[in-house]
Amino acid sequence: MSEPFSYYSGIPSFYMMIGIAMIAILLFLLGMYLNMQKWGGGSASHFLKTFLKSINHEKLGHHKRQSLIITIVLDILLQRRILRRSPFRWVMHMLIFVGWIGMFIFSMIFAVFEVLHEIGMEINLVEIRHSLDFGNEVLGYMLLIGLVIAIARRLAISDVVKRTQMFDWVLVLGTLFITITGFMAEGYRPDAITGAWTFLGSNVALAETFALFHVAISLLFCIAYIPYSKYMHMLAAPMVILVNGGGE
Amino acid sequence: MADEEKPRPVIPKGEPYIKTDVISPTFMMQYDACTRCGECDKWCPVLDAKDGDRKYSPMDKISRFRTFMGQSYGLKAKIFGPKRLDEDDIQDFSDAFFHCSTCGVCASVCPAGINTVDMYEATRQQLVMRDNGPYGKTIMFPKLIGEYRNPYLKDQKQRLDWIPDDVKIAEEADVAYFAGCTAGFNQQVLGVCTARVLNHLNVPFIYLGEEETCCSSAIIRTGQPHKGDVPYINAKHNVEALEARGVKKVMFACAGCYRVATIDWPKQLGRKPNFEVVHVADLLADLIQQGKIEWKKSFDNKIITYHDPCHLGRHCGVYETPRIVLDNLPGLKFVEMDRIKELQRCCGAGGGVKAGISDLALDIASERIRDAQAINADILSSCCPFCRRNIGDGRDNVYDQQGSTNFDLRDNPENAMQVEDMIVLVAELMGLSTKIKAQEDEDKAAGVEAAAPKHLKDL
Repeated sequence: MSEPFSYYSGIPSFYMMIGIAMIAILLFLLGMYLNMQKWGGGSASHFLKTFLKSINHEKLGHHKRQSLIITIVLDILLQRRILRRSPFRWVMHMLIFVGWIGMFIFSMIFAVFEVLHEIGMEINLVEIRHSLDFGNEVLGYMLLIGLVIAIARRLAISDVVKRTQMFDWVLVLGTLFITITGFMAEGYRPDAITGAWTFLGSNVALAETFALFHVAISLLFCIAYIPYSKYMHMLAAPMVILVNGGGE
Repeated sequence: MADEEKPRPVIPKGEPYIKTDVISPTFMMQYDACTRCGECDKWCPVLDAKDGDRKYSPMDKISRFRTFMGQSYGLKAKIFGPKRLDEDDIQDFSDAFFHCSTCGVCASVCPAGINTVDMYEATRQQLVMRDNGPYGKTIMFPKLIGEYRNPYLKDQKQRLDWIPDDVKIAEEADVAYFAGCTAGFNQQVLGVCTARVLNHLNVPFIYLGEEETCCSSAIIRTGQPHKGDVPYINAKHNVEALEARGVKKVMFACAGCYRVATIDWPKQLGRKPNFEVVHVADLLADLIQQGKIEWKKSFDNKIITYHDPCHLGRHCGVYETPRIVLDNLPGLKFVEMDRIKELQRCCGAGGGVKAGISDLALDIASERIRDAQAINADILSSCCPFCRRNIGDGRDNVYDQQGSTNFDLRDNPENAMQVEDMIVLVAELMGLSTKIKAQEDEDKAAGVEAAAPKHLKDL
C-alpha cells in the first residue's frame, strides 16, 4: 500500500473496491427489479405506475390523508408508529436505523471524494476522513448498541423468542458481524492525522485484510442482499407508509 | 374447509402455484414490508382465542404467504422455475387465513402501516379462485345474495314487512334510509327504531323498499366478489336507485352497510356516489350538541359502555359520535372498556367468521363480554347488528360458563348485562315504542295494551 493512510476504506486497491461496489449495486438492482416484477404481477413498470398513483390516492371514510411532508418526517424518519406502541423498541430501532443510515451516508460521501481524488482532483482525503471520524464513531456505537439490544430481546423476552425465525436472525446477526468487523478494521488502522495505531495495535497486513473484508461484506450484505432478505423492509415499509398515508 | 376428496389442481410445469392477478401491486409490496415485530400478534383477537397457536398469528400468515411468493416469483424461481408447492400446505395456510375477522387491529398497530384488511381480502379472493377458500358455509353467500338479493333467503317483497303502521316514509326527501338486510329481515327492531327516531326528529326520509338489495359485505369480506360480480351488480343497482330518487344523504344504522357504502361502493364503481353517506350516530350527535333532542325516559343509574364496531370505527374512522350519543343518554354513566377506538377488541363476527367458524366468533365475543364485566357494565351498546348478535351470544356463553358460581344472575335474570344497539336505547329514552310490527300485530290480536318498559323511569 503506497499511501497507507490515504484511503478512508483502507483498501489496497481503489479499483477493487469499485469493482465490488459495482457487483453489489448490480445485484441490488436485479433484486429490486425482481421484487417490483413480483409486486406488479410480472411487470415492474406496472408496479411503479400503481405505486406513484397510490401515493396521492384519496382516503375513504372519515380518515383524512395527512400531508406528504408529515408522513415523511413523522412516520418514516421519526417512526412515530413504533414509538406509540413501544418506546423501548423505538429506541432500539432508532439506534439501528440512524446508525445504519448515517454510516451509509458517510460512506457514500467519502466514496465520492475518493472517486474525485482518483480522477485527479486536489483533495486532502486525510482531512476529510478526520472530519468524519467523530460522526462515524458515534454512529458505529449507536448501531452496535441497537443490535445488542435487538439480540438480547430475541434471547430474553419469551414471546419474542417464540416468534423469532432464522429469517430474523440472519439480518440481526449479519449486521452485528459487519459492525464488529468495522470496529476491528478501525482498530487496526492507523489514526488519520497522527499516524498512531489505534486500539488493536500495529498490524498493517491485518488492517488491510479487515478493511477489505469489512467493505466487501458490507457492500454485499448491506446493499446487494437487501432485496433478497428481511432488509427489504427498509425500503418496502416506507413505501407502504407513503401509499397508505401514514398517521398514528 | 379441508375437503380431502377435493381434486388437486393441475399446475403446468413452470407455472407458479399461486397467481397474484387480483392482488394489487401495493398489496403485494406490503407482504415484503412486514418487519416481523410481532405487534399484530399482541392484539389479534383470533390468536388470543386460539391460545397463541402460531398458525393463526397474523405475522406468521404474512410470512407464509411471502414465502410462497418468493418460491414462485423470486430469483431462484426465475432461474430454476417456480417451486412445486405442497397443496396441503397451501390449504392449511388458506384455512388459517380465513380464521380472521378482518377487524384490522393489526393494521392499526403495524409500525409499517400495512393495510392488512384490504390486503387480506384480495389474498382471500386469490385463494378462493384456486379453490382453497372460503371457509365453511360462507361459500353460499354469492349464490344466496345473487339469487335472493339478501342472505336470508327472503323474497324482495318482504323488505317492506318490517315497517309498522305508525312509521311515515316519504315519497320524496333529501334523506334516504338504507336499512340493510339484517335490520329489514332478521333484527327488525333496529329498522323499526331507526325509522321511529327519524320520524320523531322530523327527518323525512325515503326507503328503497323492494328496490334495496344487499350491500354484499359478506361476499366482499370473504374474498368472493368475483363470483357472479354480485357486489358490483348490487352496488350499481343501489347507488343508481338512490341517485334516481335525488337524495342528498343516505342514512345507515348498520356498520356493515355503512362500511360498504363508504369504502366499497366507490371502489367498485370507480366513482363516489352523488350523495353523502351518513351514520345515524352522526345525525344524533349533531342534534344532541345543538340541544334539539328531548328525552322522555331515563335509566336508573346504570353503567353503559360502548363497543366500537370494526366496520364503523377502524375501517371508516367513526369513533366519537356514538360516544357523544351514549354519554348523553339520561340515567346512564358512560364508562370506557379496555381496548377501545382504533385498538378495540373485535366482537369476532366479521370477515365471515360468525357464519363460517361460529365457535371462534363465540370465543372472541366472550372476551369482549369479560372486558365489559371488568368495568361492571350494565349495558354494552354498539352500532352494528352483527356485533349486537354476536356479543349477545358471547354474553350467554360467559354466563353459562360462570353460571355455577353466579347464582344471583340465575335467580335474577334482569340483572344480566344488556347488549343493545345504540338506536334501540335512543328510541326507548325518547319514549318511542321499540316493538316490531309482528309483535304489535300480536298484541293487537290479543287485545294487549302497550306498556312502558319497566326498567325506565319517566322524566
